[in-house]
Amino acid sequence: MTVPQPDRQPARSSGTQDRGQLVLALPKGRILKAVTPLLERAGMAPSADCLGDDSRKLRFPTQNPKLDVVRVRSFDVATFVASGGAHIGICGADVLMEFDYPEIYAPLDLGIGGCRVSVAQPVTLPHDPEEWARWSEVRVATKYPAITRRFFAARGINANIVHLHGAMELAPMLGLSRLIVDLVDTGSTLRANGLGEVETITHITSRLIVNRTALKTRPEEIGALINSFRTALEATPPVTEKVKAEQSS
Amino acid sequence: MTDDPPFSPALLPAGFVDLLTPDARTEAEGVATLMGVFASHGYDRVRPPLMEFEETLLAGAGAALAEQSFRVMDPDTRKMMVLRPDITPQIARMAATRLGAAPRPLRLSYAGTCVVVMPAAAEESGRQIMQAGIELIGPDSPQADAEVVAVGAEALARLGVPDVSFDLTMPPLVPALLEEAGISAAVRPALMRALDRKDAAAVAELGGAVAETLIALLRAAGPAEQAVEQLAHISLPPRARAFSERLAATVTALRHVKPDLCLTVDPVEFRGWKYHTGVCVTLFAVGRAEELGRGGRYLSNENEPACGLTFRPDVLFRAIPPAQAMRRIYLAPDAQPQAAARLRAEGCATLAALPPEAPYRAGPEHDRAEARRLGCSHILSGATCTELD
Repeated sequence: MTVPQPDRQPARSSGTQDRGQLVLALPKGRILKAVTPLLERAGMAPSADCLGDDSRKLRFPTQNPKLDVVRVRSFDVATFVASGGAHIGICGADVLMEFDYPEIYAPLDLGIGGCRVSVAQPVTLPHDPEEWARWSEVRVATKYPAITRRFFAARGINANIVHLHGAMELAPMLGLSRLIVDLVDTGSTLRANGLGEVETITHITSRLIVNRTALKTRPEEIGALINSFRTALEATPPVTEKVKAEQSS
Repeated sequence: MTDDPPFSPALLPAGFVDLLTPDARTEAEGVATLMGVFASHGYDRVRPPLMEFEETLLAGAGAALAEQSFRVMDPDTRKMMVLRPDITPQIARMAATRLGAAPRPLRLSYAGTCVVVMPAAAEESGRQIMQAGIELIGPDSPQADAEVVAVGAEALARLGVPDVSFDLTMPPLVPALLEEAGISAAVRPALMRALDRKDAAAVAELGGAVAETLIALLRAAGPAEQAVEQLAHISLPPRARAFSERLAATVTALRHVKPDLCLTVDPVEFRGWKYHTGVCVTLFAVGRAEELGRGGRYLSNENEPACGLTFRPDVLFRAIPPAQAMRRIYLAPDAQPQAAARLRAEGCATLAALPPEAPYRAGPEHDRAEARRLGCSHILSGATCTELD
């Protein structure tokens, strides 16, 4: 229930003013770099200043004159698309799992940005599943409260969440929590802070996401965008294979 | 705690709002317009009560509403009562009881307020929601489905809602397909969820033997004619095939009565109130995130076929221009009552001068200032009505 509520005013200026223009929401940082080649092949590469870090602008034109790009935080991509402010977007499956917005469709796995959501704890502590079975509750620092609660609830444990937005790795060291749940790519940040993975909650990749109403009301245009992503993906099997190989290693 | 913030007397429980002018008028006039269109097609208006016994409202088609219902105990009978979260089950109850002997097809319309525990989706903003709709009880045919949608389309056109789009779905198709394909009950919830989110990757992973069929169904969604064409080429087991053919027949019947409707078909969608058993429809407007309304085929009490459509007026009325304000005329103390009555008959609103508070000031200047302060555009003095500058 955290989607911004539509206000009671007759028109929502942001979403409706230029009905012809479609908006693609992209996350800043890691995924943006990984997705750029795909955007180029799909004919929707944003202007050069979108990819650099210098520009203060947040909305950019693309190769496709009917499509604009907005650059937002990865968690916000889902919120923008769910509320209809952006019609399509790219975000990690972790964000979709966390928010679970019913107004988002995730029609395409882009196979990029592969990593995992894992439980980690100080390497000095023993990890024993038998011991977990005796717990009623555990304190966990995370930016994924919903995923964390679900994961532990399925094991009969109430997770007391310490909700942080970054630097989760500090939490066990400074006594905020016993465990952390975080996104793990290579695991080097965990190792540098004396932590080790003990359970993998899920493997994730980036998804193309679409606003439900946008797909229902403008099926041709949105369908065409999805198809150009699908075609661009199919044209490049080596990249996805490589990512899959990295994931399994 | 000694530092609680002061409690604002303006604060309402979340999901409840005061409607002011012009929104309250837009709602009242909009509902009247909708009900007028329904009545013109022979849908008789009924008004079920706000509360009912839990065991009657939540029986049958209403069972899916249990988690959305506020309950109170009746201090008199000590039975549980439910504040209605949806009117359709009440109509179903009426059709089976008080109107059981009425001739079929039975056409009924209704408008009223419902209360839900939580907004069903984030795009729905309130807990007090308005519903206005129609139910066509008795016939089970594509033509009946088409009539309900066509009447709804006419009502929206009369209201002046721009760029409306109708999405036709068949909620029982996918469950039938999964059952016929022998997908194990353990996998089904996760698979249904993946289908609901159109997550092709997860469908491919979980779909087993029917993965390809399911993905073809996912991709078939789109503009109606194109979707029906693609559906015809997907090979389906008998029960799923029957559902798919009924969906196509409804599209044909609807095209026959409303050739220009903006119509899409999504064979994999199964959202909405959970009691639907056949073709369903969801109403969208381009550029608006919320659904304007939804409806579909269900089994009424006693398993009688029925098809309904419910609008969400509080969503609908945000998509149309606000009600035209009435011309406001200030009646100076010397205004002639007959002249004022004439103005009201012409559709103006007249605001009578009341004895002013001390210090008393009189005269035309004071009257004009008072008229402006109260938002009037004209002033009536004697029998002459003049516009304020």
